[in-house]
Amino acid sequence: MPKEIDAPDDRATADEDDLLVVAVVRTGGIAGLRRRWRVETPRPEAHDWLVLIDRCPWNAPAEHDAGADRYVWSIQVRMPSEERERELADSELRGAWRDLVDAVRDADAARTTKPGDPASRE
Amino acid sequence: MTLSEPARIVGHMDHSAQAHGIIPAYLLARLAQSGRFTKAADAARQTLLAGRPQFRARLNLSIDEHGDLVAELTDAPNRTISDAGGTETLPGAVVRTEDDGPVDDASVNQAFDGLGATFELLLSAFQRNSLDGLGAPLNATVHYGTDYDNAFWDGERMVFGDGDGEVFRGFTGSVTVIGHELAHGVIQHTANLEYQGQPGALNESIADVFGALTEQYAEGQAADQASWLIGAGIFTDEVQGVALRSMIEPGTAYDDDELGKDPQPAHMSDFVRTTEDNGGVHVNSGIPNRAFALAARALGGNAWERAGTVWYRALSDGLSPTATFREFADATVDAASREYGEEVTAAVRDAWTTVGVLDAEGNRRTG
Repeated sequence: MPKEIDAPDDRATADEDDLLVVAVVRTGGIAGLRRRWRVETPRPEAHDWLVLIDRCPWNAPAEHDAGADRYVWSIQVRMPSEERERELADSELRGAWRDLVDAVRDADAARTTKPGDPASRE
Repeated sequence: MTLSEPARIVGHMDHSAQAHGIIPAYLLARLAQSGRFTKAADAARQTLLAGRPQFRARLNLSIDEHGDLVAELTDAPNRTISDAGGTETLPGAVVRTEDDGPVDDASVNQAFDGLGATFELLLSAFQRNSLDGLGAPLNATVHYGTDYDNAFWDGERMVFGDGDGEVFRGFTGSVTVIGHELAHGVIQHTANLEYQGQPGALNESIADVFGALTEQYAEGQAADQASWLIGAGIFTDEVQGVALRSMIEPGTAYDDDELGKDPQPAHMSDFVRTTEDNGGVHVNSGIPNRAFALAARALGGNAWERAGTVWYRALSDGLSPTATFREFADATVDAASREYGEEVTAAVRDAWTTVGVLDAEGNRRTG
C-alpha cells in the first residue's frame, strides 16, 4: 500500500520534520475506486489537528462490515514524534473518526480547488 | 413456502380474457373458498395458513387452444423500499411495498423495478425463488447518506446512495448495479464466498455476472448484443468513462484525469496483489468476469441460458467459501459437463484458458 503520508516526489522535503501530515485513503465500494485526501500543517500550527487526532480511538478493536461493496478506509498520520495508521470499516466512520476524515477532506478540497480544476470534484 | 412448479388449473370461459398480477390478500381469501378452482383453493388455503414469512404468488390467467381458462400460480417477489432521507441510519422509512404502485420518487421506482428484474432472472433462468430459494423478501434503502458515492449489500438489504452529482449520479439508475447488489445476497445464501482475496474477487465477479444477466434478460439481449458493461450511465458527463467495469474488456471502462484509469486486469499474469479493497476484490474480478463474457459469446444465444446456468450451478452446488479462481474454474467445467456436454464444456474451458486461470491442456495452473 503506498504511504500517502509521504510527500509527492516533486516537492522539497527539507522541512518534512516540521510537518504534521494526515492522509485518508478510501478503497472498495461497488466502483472499486481509490480516492485519497491529504493535509499537511507546520507543526507550530497543528494544535487543532492534534486535538482531532487524539480524540480518535486508535487502539479500539477493529470492526468488520458484513455484506459486500462497503468502503474500506485507511487513516495515516505522521507527526515529528511518531506515525500512526488505522484501517476502518465504513460503519466505524462515525464520531471522532468522521470528524477527522471530514476535516481532512475539507482541507484538501480548499487547498486544491481552483476554478475549472478537476480536483474540485473531490 | 414456495411454488417449485407453477400450480395450474383449467376452467371454461366463454370469451377471451388475459390478466397478470400479484394476488392481493383479499383475493387469496376468496380463492381459498372457491369450489370451482379446487387446486388453487388448496394453494390459497396453504398460503393463508402459512402466515409468516409472507408468501407471494402471481396469478396468470389466459385462454388455451381449447378456449379454456388457464390460471397459473407462480412465485412472485416481495419488495419493500425504504428511504433513509439523506441519513446513514438503516432501514429508513418504508415508502413503497409490493402492493403499492409507482410513487413520486424516481429512485424508489428504479430500485423497485430493478429488484423485480433481478427476481425475474433468478426465477426464469435458474428456477430460484429469490435470494434464498424460499421467497425471501427483497429489501432496499434509497437516499442513503449525503452525496454518498456507493451502493452496497449490508448482509440483509441493498443500500443505494444518491451520488455526489459531480462524479456519480444516483446508484439506482443502473439495473446492472441493482442486480449486482442483489446477487451478493444470493452468494451469501449459497457458497458464501469470503470477502477477501481470490474468493472475494470471485464474489465480486459473480455479482457482476448476475448484474449483467439481469439487464440482458430484461432487454432480451443475446450475448453478442450485450454491452457487458457494469454501471453504464452511473458516471456523470464530467467523467471520462462509460461505466464502472467492462466484463469483456477489463481495464477499459474509464480513463479519467482525476479518477485515473480502470485498474482491472484481464489476465492472471496481471493479477494485482494489494491489501486495499479487501485484497483487490473489485480489481481482480476482471479476470473471472472476462472468462464468463468470453464463454457466453463463444456459445452464442442468450448468456443466461447456458453460460449463466453453468456459473449458477458452480456457485450453488457445493463451492467452498474459500474457493480460488482455479477451484471455481474447475467447478464451472464440471457443471458444464454435467448439464450440457462437450460443446459447452469446451467453451468454458477455453475461456478460463484465455484468461490464464487454466492452462492450454485444460490442466490446472497455480493461481
